[in-house]
Amino acid sequence: MNEIIQSSLSLLWPELTLTVTFILTLFSQFALRKAPMHSGYVALAGFLLAFLLLGTQGGSDASVFGVMLAVDPFAVFFKYLIIISGILVLGFSLQSEEIRNNAEHAGEYFAFLTSMTLGMFLMAGASNLLMMYLSIELVSLSSYVLSGYLRNVERSNEAALKYVIFGAVSSGLMLYGISLIYGLTGALDIYSMRDVLATGAVMPGSWAFATLVAAVILIIGGFGYKISAVPFHYWTPDVYEGAPITITAYLSVASKAAGFAIMIRFFKVAFLNTVSADGAWEVLAGMNWELIIAVISVLTMTLGNLVALWQDNLKRMLAYSSIAHAGYMLMGLVVATDNGIAAIMVYFVMYLIMNLGAFYVVMVVAQKTGSEDIDDYRGLAYRAPWVAGAMAIFLVSLTGLPPTAGFIGKLWIFAAVLSKPGFVWLAIIGVINSVISLYYYARVFRNMYLRQGDEEKAQPILFGSRTIAGSLIFAVPTIVFGLYFGPILEWAKNSVTLFLR
Amino acid sequence: MELTDIIFYIFALVTIGSAMIVVFSRNLVYSAFSLMFTFLGVAGLYVLLLADFLAVTQLMIYVGGILVLMIFGVMLTHRVVNVEISSGAMRVIPATIVVGVFLGTLLLVLTRTKWMVMEGSPDVIGTTSMIGTALVTDYLLPFEVSGVVLLVAIVAAAFMARKR
Repeated sequence: MNEIIQSSLSLLWPELTLTVTFILTLFSQFALRKAPMHSGYVALAGFLLAFLLLGTQGGSDASVFGVMLAVDPFAVFFKYLIIISGILVLGFSLQSEEIRNNAEHAGEYFAFLTSMTLGMFLMAGASNLLMMYLSIELVSLSSYVLSGYLRNVERSNEAALKYVIFGAVSSGLMLYGISLIYGLTGALDIYSMRDVLATGAVMPGSWAFATLVAAVILIIGGFGYKISAVPFHYWTPDVYEGAPITITAYLSVASKAAGFAIMIRFFKVAFLNTVSADGAWEVLAGMNWELIIAVISVLTMTLGNLVALWQDNLKRMLAYSSIAHAGYMLMGLVVATDNGIAAIMVYFVMYLIMNLGAFYVVMVVAQKTGSEDIDDYRGLAYRAPWVAGAMAIFLVSLTGLPPTAGFIGKLWIFAAVLSKPGFVWLAIIGVINSVISLYYYARVFRNMYLRQGDEEKAQPILFGSRTIAGSLIFAVPTIVFGLYFGPILEWAKNSVTLFLR
Repeated sequence: MELTDIIFYIFALVTIGSAMIVVFSRNLVYSAFSLMFTFLGVAGLYVLLLADFLAVTQLMIYVGGILVLMIFGVMLTHRVVNVEISSGAMRVIPATIVVGVFLGTLLLVLTRTKWMVMEGSPDVIGTTSMIGTALVTDYLLPFEVSGVVLLVAIVAAAFMARKR
């Protein structure tokens, strides 16, 4: 046992680093009473160290502590996405006035950001239903508090409360699903679960199978809540609008990435028979979840896009747009091949850059103008050409038009869907949805470039060179990855390997 | 009917009956007190399942800790007796349909499904040491992670409850 623990720990350096960082950041506020924002640098140091130590997990295809947590290329890929967005969000937070104005408790803010990241790391690898639940809960608890960080802002309190209530319901549903699965298979780790299902203990057409379907739908409730898939998305708009924008950005990217990682791992491992040479999954008899996921995907993107049309608050609009993007990405899971998963992963890299970029611009503009209203973006191109230009690039990319990163992401997803016979309709719905999304992204674009602001709002807004550099950090890759995406594609394709016992 | 069966039905009756009082009673104090019997009933069911550790934990944490805290909370709250807590019956028909469908599904699932039955070993006396061993060997990682989860929860609760 001691050897197992030691060898397991030696594969968990990034997670251990984050745990220690969490505690150090929490305590650092006692030493940093005079300058509480400096706790952010403690967290930043820990994040950077964890980023470097992720290298030690590269290339390993193993599972630690029995089969509790997989450390495989797939998990490492998602951990890189999570830690990179974590570092960027820490950067946002150090610049954010919302956080600075409430700096009194900045130590807790940064500590929860760290514990949330730790939870997402665990989600990326969790291969036991117990670990899945615990890691989701760790992320949820941290994000409830973070979305209510602005105690004197009513919206923020409302966001936290709604998040807690919806979160509690969906963890309840998920736990119920887990208990049903345990009752059916007597297994908690998804590998044994697959082994039991492979013996034919749960045959399609039997009552046990109906129970399994119910259990899987309940578990999708837990995952769907993390990736904000319809009908588990109710919390998303209010939380995204009310939370500090740094947290909104983090939730929309990293939390979603972790949710997708855990969902893909569950569906691939638990129902898989073999992976054929071309990467298609051969699932156990009757265990075809494609249709259920396809329906969720269609509902998610359609609802996200249609409701986004009516939003006047840019933060809220981006919330609905992020729901829609989750719908597009779910299409990659419907395909049930390694190519489909690689497409999701490519999409996520692109989505990370463009979405964080868009939220960054919303943050810096709101700090200067005090407004997140789309109408207040009128004439922004003349008042702040650099920032508006960056925003324009992000919007084009979010729509999915060339030559931007978003186009490449969508291209691979649609190509993967079209390669699956019988699912052309899904691709068509996806394309129609992209066209709908053009309308509301273009509205912001039109306000920035084609309309003039009121007289008193026509003054140029002066952004510091730091802010302009910040928006360029996102804008330049958005263009570059739209033209030169080979390495990302390679990286994703090499990372689809899941640990299969 | 064997003796254990009779005891089972008694505990089940206590659990369900008191749970119904918790839900239907309009008086907060009655609800809180009958919750105690629900917890006790569940603890009894655990004992019948030979889950002694779980039963003791249930008693110590739920009855001894959480419930006492709750009753104190209720008692110390201003005007305990006539507080309007329930928001009244709203949307009775849709709620009945949803609950009915859900209950029907659950009953079908419960009765028709062939559940996985594990072999129990009759010579196990006391599960505490087995659970203890499992927690620091096979389940070490979840055990440690739940430690972190609880730490986050405590700090979070203190954080949310702080003065404005």
